[in-house]
Amino acid sequence: MSLMFTSCFKDVDLGQTEDIQLTPDLQADIIYYQLSEIDFLDSETNEYTPIIRDTTRLEYLDDSYIQDGLLYAEFRFKHENAFPYDIRSDIKFLDEKNRQQFNVSYLIPAGSPVAVAVIDTIHVMDASNIEKVRRSIKMAIELEMLGPGKGLEGELKFSSKGLFRLEF
Amino acid sequence: MISNGQNRPLLYNVDDLPQALLQNPGTRIDFTRHFGIPFFSQIHFFAGSTGVTAYDIFQDDNRDINLRIQEAMSNLTSGDFFSINEQLEILSFGWKIGNRGYFSAGIYQEADIFAYFPKDPATLAFEGNAAYIEKPFDFSDVNFNGEILTVYHAGFTYKVDSKLSVGGRIKLYSGIFNAESTNNEGTFTTNRTPGGVNFFQHAVDGMDVVVNTSGYASLRDEEGMTVDKAAAELLSRSFFGQNVGFGVDVGFNYRVTEQFAINAAIQDLGLMFHQKDVENSRYFGSYASSGIEPLFPELNPNQSTIPYWDVFEEQLDANLREETTYNEYNTWRPLKFNASFEFGTGKSILPCDILISKKPRFMNLFGMLISGVNRPKGPTYGVTAYWDRKLTDQTRFRVAYGLDQFSIMKLGAMASTRFNNFNVYLAVNDILGYTNLANAHSASLQLGMQFVFKDL
Repeated sequence: MSLMFTSCFKDVDLGQTEDIQLTPDLQADIIYYQLSEIDFLDSETNEYTPIIRDTTRLEYLDDSYIQDGLLYAEFRFKHENAFPYDIRSDIKFLDEKNRQQFNVSYLIPAGSPVAVAVIDTIHVMDASNIEKVRRSIKMAIELEMLGPGKGLEGELKFSSKGLFRLEF
Repeated sequence: MISNGQNRPLLYNVDDLPQALLQNPGTRIDFTRHFGIPFFSQIHFFAGSTGVTAYDIFQDDNRDINLRIQEAMSNLTSGDFFSINEQLEILSFGWKIGNRGYFSAGIYQEADIFAYFPKDPATLAFEGNAAYIEKPFDFSDVNFNGEILTVYHAGFTYKVDSKLSVGGRIKLYSGIFNAESTNNEGTFTTNRTPGGVNFFQHAVDGMDVVVNTSGYASLRDEEGMTVDKAAAELLSRSFFGQNVGFGVDVGFNYRVTEQFAINAAIQDLGLMFHQKDVENSRYFGSYASSGIEPLFPELNPNQSTIPYWDVFEEQLDANLREETTYNEYNTWRPLKFNASFEFGTGKSILPCDILISKKPRFMNLFGMLISGVNRPKGPTYGVTAYWDRKLTDQTRFRVAYGLDQFSIMKLGAMASTRFNNFNVYLAVNDILGYTNLANAHSASLQLGMQFVFKDL
């Protein structure tokens, strides 16, 4: 029966099995926040703190499918500013030892509640620097309000996502 | 229905083959005793795929195989299926009882694998979610079952009068291995959220995926288990499988006129009770996320921030849960059905039907058969038209045309001959497909040898 099966199995090359690849493109949210003037005031002293920062781990960047298969990453960062001042944003990707692998830094223009300023940034990491994404495990955010704290009022909204192109 | 896996239309209504009694215990037969050569009285193999062939994927045309996979996946639906069925008759015997009855019994081993194409999970794995925003990926597309069992059976065929014969068969199933996942629920969707907190919301909604197994955990847990050892272990369970089940076949044949007959049968109306070596995995819950929200806490230089990722994972684990259970479960055996009508021409006075004895029979039989197998998403089905020609009392052949979910052009042929009382038969379905199996949607064959006596 196996002889018959072999002799009747024609015009195919089963050696191509080795070439089969999974090439998913994954869209995933990363982090988000929505800040008001309260976030720039010390909760105990009510003192104005123009620079605020925070860090989160992104453990999936260490998963085998990223480590072995990530070819391309496209990050999208979007700020919507209703504060009346420019804000400096610095997004850093850090490795386990807090060494910066890459960062995305820009100035968010001042806006107002009726005319929110929007800055929408796409940051591409391709074959030339994708290794930096693979080495990253943390995302650190730093914001600096470039204006006086007195009478500060407004809102800052942040959205972020990544398009990860993988190949296995 | 030339190749609905477990059905064998080329052997249905073949009144000088004992295997016809396995298809319809109420069928007409023209022998008085039979005894199969152990392990060789019936070797049956079927493999089929409704939506794709090996050629579709592996054709040698210098194109990237991944493009062909993408094309195939876009054409396949979650209703397409892959099916493999194998039966090996270990023991088969029977004899005439009185003037009206025939007792038949035996043992056969069967393997049956049936899987629907998991369209949505496969699309997600191959292509990701980026091109499918707002599309729910449905976990119910995961739908498969596979079983290996030994069947002990005994049946009785009874001639009620000159027109009607009826029959029944009881079956004891001895389960060797079972894995099934058939009633899954839930979706994964990436939704756009304009005005929301982030670009998307990733939502697992109402997930409930269960995989039941019996006869698997002990194989997995055994140290140093290899594929060869696992196969040997499964074979060693052939006669003393750990789980049991019971089922029946019933059928009839009715001669409306001397030339025209109708008949129908169901096989394997039965249940398997999986009680030993059971291990079930369940994945269930709902959860939605738009990512991590940092809270910018006020920290001293020595303080570390909130472990957002750990919190996220805890929420995930609390809402999307996984559990292993050892609860007994039952499975229905795939119910087979056959119904046909048959018209005879070319009257002859050859020694004939023991249950309708001393009657003339017909050298040419023209029949049409509808048959199918009950499967999780509904029955598979097909239609076969055949011409059955008896050349002598020793030799007959059948040619058939069929159409089913695999193909609309199925040509089949069967030949059966006797040397004294030693019978050999061979049936091949989808002959065109055998010219290149790589390009065939299905193929099946049955062959066997046995002693068949016609002591009239």
